[in-house]
Amino acid sequence: MIALLIPVLMPIAVGVLLMAFPPRQRKIMLAVVFAALAIGLALAIGVALQPEDALRLTLGTVAEGLTFYLQVDAVGKLFSVLVAFVWLLVGLAAFEYMSHEHDEPRFFGFYLIVEGVLAALCYSGNLFTFYVFFELMTLTSVPLVMHELTHEAVMAGLKYLFYSVGGAFLSLFGLFLFTAQGAELTFTAGGVLDSTSASGVARLAVFLMILGFGTKAGMFPMHGWLPTAHPVAPAPASAVLSGVITKAGVLGILRTVYYVAGPELIRDTWVQYAWIGLTLITVFMGSMLAYRENVLKKRLAYSTVSQVSYVLFGLSLLQPVAFVGALLHVVFHSLVKNGLFLSAGAIICKTGKTKVDELKGIGKEMPVVLWCFTLAGVTLVGIPPTSAFVSKWYLATGSLASGIPVASWLGPVVLLVSALLTAGYLLTVSIDAFLPGSDYNYAALEKHEPTWQMLVPIVTLTALAVLLGVWPGGLTSLLTGIAGSVL
Amino acid sequence: MSPYFILVPILVPILAGILLMTFPIQDYKTRAAAVETVVILNTILVFVLLLNRPAERLYLFSFVEGLPLTLNIDGMATFFGGLVAFLWPLATLYTFEYMRHEERVNTFLSFYTITYGVTLGVAFAGNIVTMYLFYEALTMVTLPLVIHTMTEEAQKATRKYLNYMIGGTAFAFIGIVFYSLFCTDIEFVLGGNLDVANLGEYANIALLVYVLAFFGFGVKAAVFPFHGWLPTASVAPTPVTALLHAVAVVKSGVFAIMRLTYFCFGADFLKGTWAQTVVVIAAMVTIVYGSTMGVRENHFKRRLAYSTIANLSYILLGVTMMSPLGLMAGLCHMFVHAIMKISGFFCAGAVMHQTDKNYVYELDGLGYAMPATFTALLISGLSLTGIPLFAGFVSKWSIVQALLEQPSMMGYVGVFVLLYSALMTGIYMLSLNVRGWFSGGTVAREANAKFHDPSWLMLLPLAIFSVITVALGLNAQALLVFVQSIATGTF
Repeated sequence: MIALLIPVLMPIAVGVLLMAFPPRQRKIMLAVVFAALAIGLALAIGVALQPEDALRLTLGTVAEGLTFYLQVDAVGKLFSVLVAFVWLLVGLAAFEYMSHEHDEPRFFGFYLIVEGVLAALCYSGNLFTFYVFFELMTLTSVPLVMHELTHEAVMAGLKYLFYSVGGAFLSLFGLFLFTAQGAELTFTAGGVLDSTSASGVARLAVFLMILGFGTKAGMFPMHGWLPTAHPVAPAPASAVLSGVITKAGVLGILRTVYYVAGPELIRDTWVQYAWIGLTLITVFMGSMLAYRENVLKKRLAYSTVSQVSYVLFGLSLLQPVAFVGALLHVVFHSLVKNGLFLSAGAIICKTGKTKVDELKGIGKEMPVVLWCFTLAGVTLVGIPPTSAFVSKWYLATGSLASGIPVASWLGPVVLLVSALLTAGYLLTVSIDAFLPGSDYNYAALEKHEPTWQMLVPIVTLTALAVLLGVWPGGLTSLLTGIAGSVL
Repeated sequence: MSPYFILVPILVPILAGILLMTFPIQDYKTRAAAVETVVILNTILVFVLLLNRPAERLYLFSFVEGLPLTLNIDGMATFFGGLVAFLWPLATLYTFEYMRHEERVNTFLSFYTITYGVTLGVAFAGNIVTMYLFYEALTMVTLPLVIHTMTEEAQKATRKYLNYMIGGTAFAFIGIVFYSLFCTDIEFVLGGNLDVANLGEYANIALLVYVLAFFGFGVKAAVFPFHGWLPTASVAPTPVTALLHAVAVVKSGVFAIMRLTYFCFGADFLKGTWAQTVVVIAAMVTIVYGSTMGVRENHFKRRLAYSTIANLSYILLGVTMMSPLGLMAGLCHMFVHAIMKISGFFCAGAVMHQTDKNYVYELDGLGYAMPATFTALLISGLSLTGIPLFAGFVSKWSIVQALLEQPSMMGYVGVFVLLYSALMTGIYMLSLNVRGWFSGGTVAREANAKFHDPSWLMLLPLAIFSVITVALGLNAQALLVFVQSIATGTF
């Protein structure tokens, strides 16, 4: 159905036009952007409500074996709605944040273009289409990273570009190999490849694809770009980079393992064990580095490195309960991390402070923002009844039920240690913010709360992050259904 | 159509060039019109010829008994001849603007046009002796073009060029002599005409001779370690580097290797032998070397020259698979790379012509002053890196299909070599556009504000190449079917 192209092309078209013909009045530009984002969300929800067999579209063939094909299944619906929803909220916050920046048309232009590309990514129906939009996503998000145009920003953008391109090429090996072997790489629940006759090279290819897509998800050893690139971008861009674009990498791995190769191809092989090992290393390492990091946005970036590997850990276990936990965490972490980055952005926007040790007493100056920051932090630590507690619970129980030697108990241990470190790197900020101690200059206290444009998104994201744990609203049953179809 | 007609598009540009030298035209506008008319006329002649192929080959005469000079339009000749004929008018158009303020343009355009005819001679050659003759003529007729600026640097570069070419010739000659002794018929035939049954104890010698001839012809194809002339030749004016050293000369090199492999010795004879292993490794080493050096190189045109070195060996990587799929992939990349690289060199030339900047680090912020040029450069760069939606992905794809046709260690290593090279290419090509659009800040942008895009004479070719690159990236079926028919002999 050709209408599938609208959620893809509309944001791209608006973004391109915005850059080509920047409106003279800022109000008009913001109205256009908001309208595009709102319509984008409406379209995503509209597509998600359609029955699955209506949602297919073949767009043409480049060469034999290379067909552009869109197909929306439950996973695609979940991811596309998440993207559109977050994009709207963060976009709203960006209106206030970017008023202190320059070159806004370029920022919002690429912001919209990336949304369109991500929609196409979520709707991709085969590996080739996915790969195309994955590369495009990298290319179109580089200008967001480089936005400040300082030397540091440009170098960070280049690092992002080269890591991402390198990672994409690792994945390309798999695309090459499987197509050469004659496989039709349409995403099918449970995989397309024959696991019984799979060769060592096929397993290597799947591993390389995990590493390759894992680059975008910040998995060790390809995580090096993330702590450099996320902080240097403007806060709204950091938010979506950490909260959403990393999930594109997760989607890539999800599609590869569960919809192309099939979990049986790698179950109980070196590929699975290596993957589990890498995710656990990343979980621990990310939390540890976050704990030691003083620059707030960099701390949040390391947190992303760690948290996204929670998701990858869940996926690597090839176990239905862990699978549900992983996808729950995709949603919950996205909400939390976006909220955290927007809070950091509000702090930078209003007070110019970027380092954690400068944040003493800031809770008194920006109470709403810091309350949200605290609640988000509590969620990320995994304290019941917040949402991330639920996802971590599923991850831990799934791990224990998986029966994999060592990893089944080591996983929950690492998750627990990481949770403690998370408390250490997030809750300490809150404590210092609200309880600055006796040497804080109470007399000079000024309220710096941002306007509704930043507050509404931050509060909404935080509220959802906390409440979705109590009322998952069918999310869990949706995900259990997906898990059942692939495992 | 009569076979004698094959001679016409070869001789017309040669005679026109000689005429132009004998009776120089002083007014640059008249000269440009005259030259462009001749070139376009010749292109039309070529396409008329290719669309009405003569049924038989043209036999000219024999040097010696058994060494005839023949011309023949088969699939390969159609392909290479068509490519050259398509690109020459566009390159000549570009040359007018570029050379506007240079000296001795008359002589330059004469030799440039003569080269057209000679290249067609290489394309239309019916056997290896004829091809060799035109191949050598190509070296000679391009010498004045390389040395054109007459600077000390140009003289040294030309000497290096000549030495490398002559050296390569010698080894290629060994191949020709051996083949002429041991073939059933010296004419080009798909599958080769080597008298394999009667080779006896000479079989290993035959393989050795093939390897020598591969490297001999490989000098023009910039195979490591005989690539050294190519970056140095970047000192020539950009129309020369672009057309000759991205299309005519270097593609003649890979074309000759294709003829040698598939139409003389025969792929089946070579497949699985130690000779194949040697040449595959040579191609892989060249790819790694060229791509890595491209990252290190700061001179704009030399960077593109290293890119050419690597890309030529992409073609050879396909060709050395000794299979129809391999030849098909080689042909596909030959076409696609010609378009991408000529576009890239034209962008470099546009920058050099408009701003006198030769080095990559001088490009900061220039994108805003020359947006059309940098957009074309972006498309070229994305295509070279192998990003899908651009032609380069398709040709790399077909090379990989040839590499992975049968599971083999060599195939897998080849794929990794290609992926490594793709990453390096991304680094050295995409950083150009990052510099152009994101670096330097307002200081650089203000300093560059006085520059602007070149005129339509230079922009039109760029636009055409960019459009083709994207169009092929979206749907390459037509090209792939065409090269498949050539590679399988059904053309």
